[in-house]
Amino acid sequence: MRKRLLLFIALGWVLLLIGDRVDELRVYQGASIAVYVIAIGSIILLTGYSGQISLGHGALMAFGGYVAALCVANASLPLWFAFVMAALVTGIFGGVLGFAAARLSGPYLAGTTLALAVGLPSLANQFSILGGEQGIYLDPGLPPASLGESFSQYKWFFWITTLAALITMFWLANILHSKYGRTWRALRSNDVAAQLCGVHTGRQKVLAFSLSSGLAGLAGALLVLTISTVSPSAFPLSLSFALVTGAVVSGIYDLKGVMLGAVILVVIPEIADSVASRFGDSLKITSTLPGLLVSALLILAVLFTPNGPGEKLHHLRHKRKAHSG
Amino acid sequence: MYKFISSLLIGLSLGAIYSLMSISLVLVWRSTRVVNFAQAGQAIVSTYIAYEVVNRTGSFWLAFVVAILAGALLGAIVDRYFMRPLFRRVASGPIVAIAPVVATLGLLGVLRAVVGFIWGVELKPIAAPVSLDGYSLGSEVLPFAPYNALVIVIVAIVLIVLSLLFQKTNLGLSLRASAYSPEIARLSGVRVNEIRTLGWAIAGAAGAIAGILATPTSYLSPNSLDILLVFGFAAAVIGGLESMVGAVVGGLVLGLGVTFVSNYVSTSLIFPTAFVFLIIILLVRPSGIVSGKRSRRA
Repeated sequence: MRKRLLLFIALGWVLLLIGDRVDELRVYQGASIAVYVIAIGSIILLTGYSGQISLGHGALMAFGGYVAALCVANASLPLWFAFVMAALVTGIFGGVLGFAAARLSGPYLAGTTLALAVGLPSLANQFSILGGEQGIYLDPGLPPASLGESFSQYKWFFWITTLAALITMFWLANILHSKYGRTWRALRSNDVAAQLCGVHTGRQKVLAFSLSSGLAGLAGALLVLTISTVSPSAFPLSLSFALVTGAVVSGIYDLKGVMLGAVILVVIPEIADSVASRFGDSLKITSTLPGLLVSALLILAVLFTPNGPGEKLHHLRHKRKAHSG
Repeated sequence: MYKFISSLLIGLSLGAIYSLMSISLVLVWRSTRVVNFAQAGQAIVSTYIAYEVVNRTGSFWLAFVVAILAGALLGAIVDRYFMRPLFRRVASGPIVAIAPVVATLGLLGVLRAVVGFIWGVELKPIAAPVSLDGYSLGSEVLPFAPYNALVIVIVAIVLIVLSLLFQKTNLGLSLRASAYSPEIARLSGVRVNEIRTLGWAIAGAAGAIAGILATPTSYLSPNSLDILLVFGFAAAVIGGLESMVGAVVGGLVLGLGVTFVSNYVSTSLIFPTAFVFLIIILLVRPSGIVSGKRSRRA
């Protein structure tokens, strides 16, 4: 555990140095990558315990984003407290939702979370406190003066999100190696056997879904920080789908691949933009290409690296050794 | 009283469309243990084809037939050339449990994008074959229109055809047998794989009908049927996910519930109502209101 802590601190140091040496756009993208790392991590935590997957983590992110924005805009609470609240409240909401759907085996969780993601905009328009289509403005505040005059807003976002991502990953790595992680893995591979060993399957599944929701809420709050408004259009259905893609590409049972998935999610819109500009930027192409790339990648990942790139590499190395030996 | 009657009728016609979507999900779930999230994508493709036919020929009925055929063909193709290779390839490791969900989700995205490429993302209308203006009862004009009546009649015919197919023909027996117990069906000489593909085709056709019937009262866009997919899923869960009768009952219950809430409380509550229905059913009777089995609790 201490070794892991040192590793994360070193990683943070390296990221800090990188953040100092690249231009503003890359720093901003770095912040987005950190947000996606947390969001994908939350899906891996969820799927790490059972044969279920959430198709609505985008909606849970939105939930967290609204909680944070309401905390800052209406109660003028400090930023860090708003993030903690976002994680907590979304976790509780996830627990309630999970109690209905996550304790059941089968496609119930996938369908219910999909329903949540599809219906979110109408829910946000329902209550006037949520600001309808325009959403709520979240004042991110200025970076502390002690960091110097030239310290930009984007770099401040990068620092906050990266710190949050590092803490989240450290916590995730620990919990997945704790007795909870072992219990969830047992549930995933054989829930009847786990039950015979005294595991309360329903309760564990709801717990995992609730923790995963909390992380999604935190990721949502951080996303809102970087775009400074929370509105239904910031959390479309395609965000939920993109997160699933990111998780599958990362290897859905492997925390180590998380960076890969997050980077891909940030890079895809860029690729789509550059391809679309070659085809003359028609609305048809610019609006459908990102979705096509994400979905195609999802299908390819399931077909060719179903259990993640880590396992595939391992497999290939193994094969080569067998050949040479 | 007018309000009550019109809510009842509108609810029935809405519920009829949900029932069809729900049936197409249930058919695939029973035979393949996959909730086919791509069904909305398949239906959107067939509905856009119908839109094209209406535009070229002006005939809604020709478009209707073409949509059914396209939906059935697409369903068969998805099973034969997408799901089957997927199951062959992804046969081990922890991903197996979620691979179908993930793959159908990816397919949904691809189909939506393809439709967007071909027809663009603007909203497109399909003209209804009969009037969309409500019947008038005395001085009151009901929101219930001839088109809504037509929807109920068409869905009733489809349901009768399906139940005759499943209950009275050998093919229906094979379909039920291979869904219920593929091994035993195979031993008795049923060609389970082919029958399963046929089941996907029937499901695709049902989804296509739901798609084209839902469109004249609103608009067509690459994601306009997502809501229908969600309502179809909710209806299937209300009905227990295993039974076709349950799917129909679930669809009607949901359609009526949603319409009454939107007419008596607030129109913007349509979605929250459906969601609450779904959650309550999951909490109280996860096995659905029709089936008596209690097997899906973890």
